Amino acid sequence: MVELRNVSVTYSNGVDALHDVSLRINDGEFAFVVGESGAGKSTLIKLLLKEITPTSGRIMVNGFNLEKLKKSKAHKLRRTIGFVFQDFKLINTMNVYDNVAFVLRSIDAPIKYIRNRVPYVISLVGLKDKAKSFPTELSGGEQQRVALARALVNDPQLIIADEPTGNLDPKTSLEIVELLKGINECGTTVMMVTHEHELVRHFGGRTITIKDGRITFDDYIG
Amino acid sequence: MNYLFGQGMKNIWTNRIMSVASFCILSVSLLLIGFTLLFTANINRFVSGVENKNEVVIFLDDNVDSTMASAMENTIKNIQNVESVVFYSKDEALEDMKNSMESDNADELFSYVGEENPLPDAFRIRIADIEEISPTLMDINRLDGIDSIKSPTDFINILTGLKRFIGIVSAVILLALILVSLVIISNAARASVDIRKREIAIMKLVGATNTFIKVPFFVEGMFLGALAGIFASAVTCFGYSELIKVLSQDMTIWSIMSVNGFIPMGEFAVKLVIGYAAAGMIISGFGTVMSTRKYLKV
Repeated sequence: MVELRNVSVTYSNGVDALHDVSLRINDGEFAFVVGESGAGKSTLIKLLLKEITPTSGRIMVNGFNLEKLKKSKAHKLRRTIGFVFQDFKLINTMNVYDNVAFVLRSIDAPIKYIRNRVPYVISLVGLKDKAKSFPTELSGGEQQRVALARALVNDPQLIIADEPTGNLDPKTSLEIVELLKGINECGTTVMMVTHEHELVRHFGGRTITIKDGRITFDDYIG
Repeated sequence: MNYLFGQGMKNIWTNRIMSVASFCILSVSLLLIGFTLLFTANINRFVSGVENKNEVVIFLDDNVDSTMASAMENTIKNIQNVESVVFYSKDEALEDMKNSMESDNADELFSYVGEENPLPDAFRIRIADIEEISPTLMDINRLDGIDSIKSPTDFINILTGLKRFIGIVSAVILLALILVSLVIISNAARASVDIRKREIAIMKLVGATNTFIKVPFFVEGMFLGALAGIFASAVTCFGYSELIKVLSQDMTIWSIMSVNGFIPMGEFAVKLVIGYAAAGMIISGFGTVMSTRKYLKV
């Protein structure tokens, strides 16, 4: 569950990135967050990852009160969230298997569990035959699937996808959103940030529009 | 832990260009420091060798008999900073003088001396700490029965000054070398971490703890440091032994300087390997970990 109450962010250069934003995404929901460049979408994601702290307001993510959560303990919050980014954010020196397994290794998961879980998740995103490939050997769509597998492997409560289709062709974009929808149907909350209105109209559902740091629309479409 | 250790070792190969660069920088830094240390230690040994030849000779009055001389010997022995006292009789002195004059006419020359030996009895004294010779001589001078004292005070003062000067200069050079090396090594570590800042940021985002991220970097740095230490030790030992061989071919200059030769390699080889490896591991290991800090603030 994600909840923001009267959250504002003003950067040190005086830019008001978010202004009095209140928002609630319940467990099991799928929500699109749309907005043009500079609208405040990235700031919202940074807040949810505790990369930055708000100037004012209160944020709760998966039961963590981010106001009280120390930066040094941010890993505890991040382990409950799966991330998917526009630029995939894969470690190029690790193969697909190791990129996905890294999340489980970092939480000291048993080796036996890792050996079972990682191939299963890789096959879920349709990359069973690419486990030993390196990110640079994969297409954009395949890399995004690896990122999805990595986001899924720890069975997170929430998946945050930041422009996951930004670098993909329309067909692959549809496949990725369909995968996210599938994950959501299994009970995981999904928040997908995008500026592609076409895609949002195609899938429909809860849509939150941010403009100039304010929420200007929050309703179901389609 | 096995994974983290393995990851550190794997990273050395994955980032091999930076690993080779770090290895070279570490090795050269250690070599420079090591050779400077050895040079300084050898110079100190030369100076100490010369110092050890020091001898103070105390000439006694003619009226000092053997009982009084024996009492004086005991008193001198108990003076602080006196290492040894040897009584040197006037007869021995005369005999030595004859022997030192390798001339056919020596006997004829000494026949003029007749029965009367004009040389005085004396004590030959060795000083423990040459830098403290002046107060020791003052203590000796207070004794009755002393005619005069012959001591290489001026020479010793020059040597002591030279030793102090070499000590200060080498300390300054060493300190500068260590500082420069630290800066270069930490820059190399920073550069090797810098190209992986994206990797570190991703690790942080997927929930890895700082320790989990730092350990492979630490392992990597320590291993490279140890490797550079061992390599630098081998080069130093080989270079030093070859240098000694060349310099020892003509020992004349060193014998003139009354030195005891160079420091034998066996005296420092083990210490050198341990010191180099430890220094390499500590500087490289911690340097690498310190360099990751700013990227861990994600």
